[in-house]
Amino acid sequence: MAITISNLSKTYSNGYQALKNISFDIADGDLVCLLGPSGCGKSTTLNIIAGLLDPTSGDIGIDGHSIIHEHPKDRNIGMVFQDYALYPHMTVLENVEFPLRVGDHRKPKAEAERIAHRYMAMTGIEEMADKKPGAMSGGQQQRVAIARALVGDPKVLLLDEPLSNLDARLRLRIREEIRRLVKSTGITTVFVTHDQEEALSISDRIALMNQGVIQQYDVPQQLYLNPANLFVAKFLGSPIINLFDLAYDQSRKALTGPTFDIPLDRLDRGRMRDGLARALASGKVIAGIRPEHFLVADAGRTPDFTVTIDSVEMIGRYSVLHFDADGVHAASTVDARSPIRDGDRVGYVIDYGDIFLFDEQGTRLY
Amino acid sequence: MSAATTSPAKTAKVSTATKVSTATRRGPFSYSAERQPRAWLFLAPALFFIALFNVWPLIRIFVMAFQTNSLRRPKFAGADNFAFVVADPEFHTAIANTAVFAVVVVPMGMVISMAIALTLNGRMKGGRFFEALFFIPYLTSVIAIGIVFRYLLNGDYGVLNFLLGKVGIGPFDFLNDPRLNMAALLIFGVWSCLAFNIIIMLSGLRSINRNYYKVADMYGATGWQQLRRITLPQMIPMLTFLAIVNFINSFKVYTEVYALFNGKAGIGNSATTAVFYIFNKFYVDHKYGQGMAAGVLLFLLILAFTLLENALLKKLSK
Repeated sequence: MAITISNLSKTYSNGYQALKNISFDIADGDLVCLLGPSGCGKSTTLNIIAGLLDPTSGDIGIDGHSIIHEHPKDRNIGMVFQDYALYPHMTVLENVEFPLRVGDHRKPKAEAERIAHRYMAMTGIEEMADKKPGAMSGGQQQRVAIARALVGDPKVLLLDEPLSNLDARLRLRIREEIRRLVKSTGITTVFVTHDQEEALSISDRIALMNQGVIQQYDVPQQLYLNPANLFVAKFLGSPIINLFDLAYDQSRKALTGPTFDIPLDRLDRGRMRDGLARALASGKVIAGIRPEHFLVADAGRTPDFTVTIDSVEMIGRYSVLHFDADGVHAASTVDARSPIRDGDRVGYVIDYGDIFLFDEQGTRLY
Repeated sequence: MSAATTSPAKTAKVSTATKVSTATRRGPFSYSAERQPRAWLFLAPALFFIALFNVWPLIRIFVMAFQTNSLRRPKFAGADNFAFVVADPEFHTAIANTAVFAVVVVPMGMVISMAIALTLNGRMKGGRFFEALFFIPYLTSVIAIGIVFRYLLNGDYGVLNFLLGKVGIGPFDFLNDPRLNMAALLIFGVWSCLAFNIIIMLSGLRSINRNYYKVADMYGATGWQQLRRITLPQMIPMLTFLAIVNFINSFKVYTEVYALFNGKAGIGNSATTAVFYIFNKFYVDHKYGQGMAAGVLLFLLILAFTLLENALLKKLSK
């Protein structure tokens, strides 16, 4: 079911403004991630959708029907909590069938068990029906929690940082499983995480939030390749994007810094945005260059600048070269087979077509 | 490893050599992560007093129970003391009263405490204030509370009789009518166990994961369903603990009787309890052997009850 969130605000009783007038739409069957640092408002948003928190103002519609004044049980929502909140004194089967065995429309035991078994088979925990959660691994508990969230056949599934209690390797597997599962059931899913990699890999769309505001709501690829502002560019990408404060030199028609300059005529005119002229007039611009867009200059090609490498960090598929650009720490990535070692002098070419420029407020200019 | 494969004799020699060298280095008070004999030094004062006031009297009880009622020249009396106590009608009353006290006060006290703890734990304004209020009795002397209860239960001007009179019952002379002495003791007993129970139960309720209730709320579980399917199962360890502690305390009931009936055990000893019987035998009648024999019987009774209760609750929690 499609979810419409319009002008949602939340101010807690202690005066903390967690959400500032956010609006976005989630299409039917989409898997959407709410991504952002701690305190950005992503969990608040999820809890308001679930009905565990009241919004200060704004509305949430499911298929055009406002739900904010409905009790959680009437919203037709399934939710998985960060700590799973499985009942330790109940078996897996009792946990999964719990939603069917309580409330006004409780089902007879036999029917509830049949339905529970169907969802347990779907999540691959059928053999564990008689185990207690305490005797299971984190990944298995996770599946029990998902089965319990799905057993009532909800229209919307909410997942609150469901992978944060799992170890790194399991996290990779479970996130693929979650995606496969929710896609096969066609349920609309909202997933909260602070892990960019998790969000990029699992989502149809990502709402990147900061300080109660949605910074960008887009498909994962666009978020990385075409960030709306400085925050988005900084939040996504590992190693983190390199940022340089540059000054505009009117006479040379170039952005100048201590280590390298960016002549305006090397930039792609088509990517320039309206605010650029104004920012150039003010004289100050922030350049954002991702590590992969510092290219090590081949022999025979004139490098844009040359620096000494401080350290080489081996990641696996690639290596990160750390260097000091006249007081600013910067990093570039090279193929793992690169012979470059600590202390080497390296000439770099800047991939001008893929760099970003921002003004001091973080608005994207290029 | 390689030494073991080449020659067992050689490794044995090496290992004894290392043992000797570490032993010479280690004095009796040098540091060892797993063995710290210095601990005995810190335990000694406590152990001394525990031995003097707990362990030694305990041994003496068992010895005196088999001796004649003389402190100066006790003689071995076989099972005479036990035979006397078991046949004593006053002991029967004492045990019956104690049993009634335990069987009525423990369940009633726990149910009422649970109800109050659940109310205090809910989203209630001023919960902290009431929590403190309910804990005050625990800090107050039982004797002082007993004096207050003597006023409350008074047959002529007691508040309880005034209230009962309003609904057309009574008046009851709780303190002076031997048939009502036990009822008065039970009311007092239930009331005095509330404070401790409520505090322990509240801490138990607070330790239950809030998300359990959020999940239950999301699926529309009613308050009763949440209590029965989440709260009570989660509280079982704590309730087991409280049940056992309350039962043992009930079997030891003495101060409440003393305070309520001004140092007597009710009119004509109608509200006497096991401990009261022991006390009277020892300090009033100077029948030391009989008193200790009653003590041993009470000990065995509590032991049997606790084991039974433990087994029962274990079965219940499964």
